[in-house]
Amino acid sequence: MTNDFEVEFIEPGERSARFLVRGVSPAVANGIRRAMVADVPTFSIDTVRFVENSSVMFDEMIGLRLGLVPLSTPIGDFEEGDVVTLALDVEGPATAYSGDLESADAMVQPADENIPIIELKDGQHLEFEADAVLDSGKSHAKHQGGVSVGYRHLQRVEVAGDAGEFEEQEPNILRGVIEEAAAEHADADADATDGDLVATDAFDNDLTNRYPGKEVEVHDVPDAFVFHVETDGSFSVEELVLRAAETLGDRAAELESKVAI
Amino acid sequence: MELRVIDKTDEELRMEVAGEDHTFMNVIKGALLETDGVAAATYDMNPEQSGGQTEPILSIKTEAGVDPLDALGGASRDVQTTVEDFSEAFEAAAP
Amino acid sequence: MSYKCSRCKRDVELDEYGGVRCPYCGHRVLLKERAPEIKDVPVE
Repeated sequence: MTNDFEVEFIEPGERSARFLVRGVSPAVANGIRRAMVADVPTFSIDTVRFVENSSVMFDEMIGLRLGLVPLSTPIGDFEEGDVVTLALDVEGPATAYSGDLESADAMVQPADENIPIIELKDGQHLEFEADAVLDSGKSHAKHQGGVSVGYRHLQRVEVAGDAGEFEEQEPNILRGVIEEAAAEHADADADATDGDLVATDAFDNDLTNRYPGKEVEVHDVPDAFVFHVETDGSFSVEELVLRAAETLGDRAAELESKVAI
Repeated sequence: MELRVIDKTDEELRMEVAGEDHTFMNVIKGALLETDGVAAATYDMNPEQSGGQTEPILSIKTEAGVDPLDALGGASRDVQTTVEDFSEAFEAAAP
Repeated sequence: MSYKCSRCKRDVELDEYGGVRCPYCGHRVLLKERAPEIKDVPVE
C-alpha cells in the first residue's frame, strides 16, 4: 500500500476546522469520520444524586440537560469507565449555569461556562452531586466528541468554453472546496493561481460569480477529501482526529495479534 | 473484538468479528483488497437479514499458496501503517 | 405521610380518620412535600 498523505488546513480552528487530505482511500476517510463520531470517548454526566430540587423541572429532565453539557476530556489520563464527580448548589432567584458545576478533578470541567441548566425563581433550590463517566458515542450520543463531522470530495473546476452569448446564465451552485484549474478565468479574484484551494463561500457558492460567462466542468479529485470537523469542546479538532485515527490503529493491532495465534 | 472462525480452507476464510461495525470492517476490507494474493474480500454486517446473527462476518478468498489468515494479518499491519502515516501527516500540517 | 398546609404553611401529619383537613386552620388544601432522601437519577 502506498501512503503518501498530504494534509493541508483550509480553515484552522480549535473547535471547528476544515482540512484537505490527499491520498486517502474512501474506506479510510469514512473509517476516520465514523471513529470521530462514535469511538472517541468523552466525559458526560451519567448519574445524578439530587439532594434538593424545588425547581419547576423534574429531576429526570434536569439530568438529561446535564448529560448534554460537554466536559473537557484530557488525553491519556483516563480510560473508558472512569468516573469524575461534579456538584452544583444554586439557590434562586438565579439561573444555574454549567459554569456553576464544581468538578472534583480540575482536568474535567464544563467546556462552556454559559450553558443554562435551569432558571430558578425566588425560594427555589437546586443541589446535586453527579457522576461523569468516560464512554464512547457508540453507547450514547451525549458521549460524542465530534459533532458535525463530515467530508466532501475536493472538486476541480475547469473552464470548458464560453457560455452561450445571448443566454441568461443560470446560477451554478457548488458547495465545498474547489481546486482552481482555470485561474485566468477567475475574474473576481485577481491573484488566483492554478492549484489554489478556494472554499466555495468565497464566491457565494455560485460558480457563475467566479467564472462569469463561462461554461465550467466540475470533477471530483480522486482520493482527496475535505474534512469539516467540529467538536463539542471536549477537546480540540486536532486531538479528536488523532484519537480517532488511534482507535482505528488499535483495533487493527488487536486483529493482527489475534490472527497471529 | 472476538474472532470466531466459521469456515476455513487453504484459500477461503469466513470469520465472525464480534463487537465491530462498519467503521473498522470497511477499513479492513479496503486494506484486504489492496493486499497481494487476495482474490476477494467482503464483509456482511447483517447476515440472515436480522434473523438472529448481527455480528459482522468477514469473508476472504485468496489465490493459491496464500493463507487467508496471513493475508488478514498483513492487511491489519497495513491499516496500522496507514493510520500512523496519516497521523504523522496530520500533525505536521496542524497549525 | 408529611404534607404542608397551603394556607398556614405548617407541616401536617395526615391520619387515616381525620380526612383531608389541616388540624390547625381547617384548610382543606394540603401540599405534598418532596421526600427528604437523596434521589438517584440515571441520565438517559
